[in-house]
Amino acid sequence: MPASTDFLKSILYFSGLGAREMERVRKEAVELSFEGGEILFLEGETCRGLYLVYSGRIRIFKSSPEGREQVLMIAKRGDSFNDVPVFDGGPNPASSSALEPSVVYLIPKEALLALVGDCPAALAILKVFSARLRHLTSVVEDLSFRSVVSRMARLLLDLSVVKEGTAPVPRLTQDEMAARVGSVRDVIGRALKTLEAAGAIRLEGHRIYVVDSEKLKKMA
Amino acid sequence: MNTEVPKIDPEKCTGCGDCVGECPTGAVELVEGKALIARPDDCSYCTDCESICLFEAIQCPYEIILAEENRTS
Repeated sequence: MPASTDFLKSILYFSGLGAREMERVRKEAVELSFEGGEILFLEGETCRGLYLVYSGRIRIFKSSPEGREQVLMIAKRGDSFNDVPVFDGGPNPASSSALEPSVVYLIPKEALLALVGDCPAALAILKVFSARLRHLTSVVEDLSFRSVVSRMARLLLDLSVVKEGTAPVPRLTQDEMAARVGSVRDVIGRALKTLEAAGAIRLEGHRIYVVDSEKLKKMA
Repeated sequence: MNTEVPKIDPEKCTGCGDCVGECPTGAVELVEGKALIARPDDCSYCTDCESICLFEAIQCPYEIILAEENRTS
């Protein structure tokens, strides 16, 4: 069944559209039905477009390699989801499944991008916001699934530079490291000792040397 | 050899002396009412002084360096 104009007008994205553009979106919308528990799409897959919930509830979540899940959002009637990859061009940043029998409308990304096609500035702004949202999604994933040792390993990998290089050597206190990985300084101290005991880093006075970045990557 | 010692901000230091009592090597002293790393060679950069200071007057930053022996392409 084609999406109704009234329903589409209730969605914030489309509330200001003119009649012609609204009709174009309405024609492009694809109605999809899912049973409870059914997967709509998986994290990492190519984005098909924006989803709008017409009825039911959809769970948007991230999964760890070990199978743990972190729910990011429960989308209900009138909510949209999977907006980020439409505008930043990347893969789906999360997975989704129906919590109960649900009907959604898929608006193909080409149809959405056409709405801002004549305003490059608007598209550029949307790309920036989408990239920020994607980054925040990965921060949530990091905090939910990774241990402090793992997050510290990632931080040291990201920050470490060669001493004689052009980039300035980063200098962080343990409190600053704790703030970056979402922990407290005492735990950071223990994490550094763990990484040193594993042979990935060496602590010498005020210097943290990354001595085995391959090992550090495995621990990240 | 450790060439750096904790940074003490004299504006924030109240001279409470907690860091002096906490320092395991006696490297920190109160001089004219302010904390000072009086014996830098004795400092092991354990960061206990930074941890104990209630006024955030002491900072122990770490440099994060990709070691010579680790360099890969």
